[in-house]
Amino acid sequence: MHARFVVIGGGLSGLAAAVRLARFNENVLLLEQHSRVGGLNSYYYRNSRLIETGLHAITNYSERSQRHTPLNRLLRQLKIRREEVGIHQQLGSAVRFPQCTLRFSNDFGLLQEEIERCFGAQVDGFNRFVAHLDTINPFLATPFISARQVVSTYITDPLLVDMLLCPMCYYGSSIENDVDFHQYVILFRAIFQEGLFRPRATIREFLELLTDRFTAFGGTLRLKTGVKRIVTRNNAVAALELDNDEIITCEQVVSTIGLDETLRLLGETDHRPQRGQRLAFSESIFVVQAGVRQRVPDDTACLFFSAHHPFIYQRPTDAVDFRSGVISLPFNFNGLHGDRDTLEIRTTHLANYDLWREATTEPERYRRLKESSVKQSRQLAESLIGPFADLILFHDSFSPLTIERYTGKREGAIYGSPAKVKDGLIGYENLILAGTDQGYLGIIGALLSGVSMVNNHLLINHQPSPTRED
Amino acid sequence: MTRADITDLIVEIIADIDDEADFDNLDPEKPLRDQLDLDSMDFLDIVMELRKRYKIQIPEEDYPQLATLNSCATYLEPMLKDV
Repeated sequence: MHARFVVIGGGLSGLAAAVRLARFNENVLLLEQHSRVGGLNSYYYRNSRLIETGLHAITNYSERSQRHTPLNRLLRQLKIRREEVGIHQQLGSAVRFPQCTLRFSNDFGLLQEEIERCFGAQVDGFNRFVAHLDTINPFLATPFISARQVVSTYITDPLLVDMLLCPMCYYGSSIENDVDFHQYVILFRAIFQEGLFRPRATIREFLELLTDRFTAFGGTLRLKTGVKRIVTRNNAVAALELDNDEIITCEQVVSTIGLDETLRLLGETDHRPQRGQRLAFSESIFVVQAGVRQRVPDDTACLFFSAHHPFIYQRPTDAVDFRSGVISLPFNFNGLHGDRDTLEIRTTHLANYDLWREATTEPERYRRLKESSVKQSRQLAESLIGPFADLILFHDSFSPLTIERYTGKREGAIYGSPAKVKDGLIGYENLILAGTDQGYLGIIGALLSGVSMVNNHLLINHQPSPTRED
Repeated sequence: MTRADITDLIVEIIADIDDEADFDNLDPEKPLRDQLDLDSMDFLDIVMELRKRYKIQIPEEDYPQLATLNSCATYLEPMLKDV
């Protein structure tokens, strides 16, 4: 088989890249190893109920009239109308540390008021910090800068520094106890200045929207099609060898499976200096009776918390670190889930991949570890949002191994390699990377990464004009 | 294609890219970017649509020549004369 363009990986960045390519080109092939698209943001069924794997909320909320915001640009680029997605704003979120709680919403003014209320002496520094962020172009390829250090030059209270770092870490940092400053700027805008929303339906309908767009533009999607090897000749990709030994020759490849995962298909390893270890997570999902609405806060969609200050964001020494995390209440969005008789509460914590791996040597031990983690996580969540144990119909959980098995993300590291390749180039003339390892984050980031890498490397004609010759 | 055909074509392409674009009072001498609030990604889509439909390759350095409806007509006229 021959394809002019092949996109490896049908996660959000792969779908976006594939839609852009197919919109303007013929013969575009999208390969996904699983039976479903979505990658980290997919879904499955348990007890006849659709459960999303990743989606808590989508960042970068903006009004329709703001044409140049990431959300609206992205929708235009993918030829998706806002009405097709159905955009429902959060009812609010919070960052909670033992000393205080900072609430925020899609109105940035709320966070500013909260900082004034809790950290009066820091208001001036915070405002200067926000003004500084406005001057930064975070999409330039630059070496690592510590966000913690930059924030600390404006804000002198270490508690506030931690509280402003915690959501950014949980929603996108692949490195320990810090965030790359440029990623921090992207996340700060995405979460605090723009805000959170959810689509009207589930991630399934959102994925169907992208898949339908791709196939309507003439693209071909092959599911259950894993790539075993990228065959190269003279620093260029010549073909892809699939898991079933089939060979696909191609002219251009976009790999969205991650840097390390792509290098592995090329038979290479990454020799560049690494910044710490890959960070893994565990997630528990509680399906609860709708009556839970009367028990838990009705104004919190995402609760980022740390039971300790200083905030610790690193590979834990235990299987799961319950001292910090995110609690997601996906029903706390304007106009969502009001008609449902069951709702979800989700919790996320940092996890230690090696300890989970070790536990798999005995299935019983792994099962017990999963159950005890769910229980501890639930108790912790109840201490923060109120009791709901008696309303649970069933629960499920993902360990770093579940994530690795279903998404191919090595060691279950959802935010990918600690080292990023921002321009998407790794030394092959017709191979580009898109996705997690370009430093774009979240669902909007993944989609934007697919769009920009294709735009910059495959659509824009950088050749000088031939007419200039005469 | 005549100059008028070309400006109609550009308007049609922009309408397809942005279904909320308002073409009333569009001045062919003034930048499209300002009048229709387009950005560089929208311009890329205009260029890509021209490539897809008419196999025209427009290099990035020539994008400024597509700034107004009239400059689009001037730039594209020789390329589209046989269409």
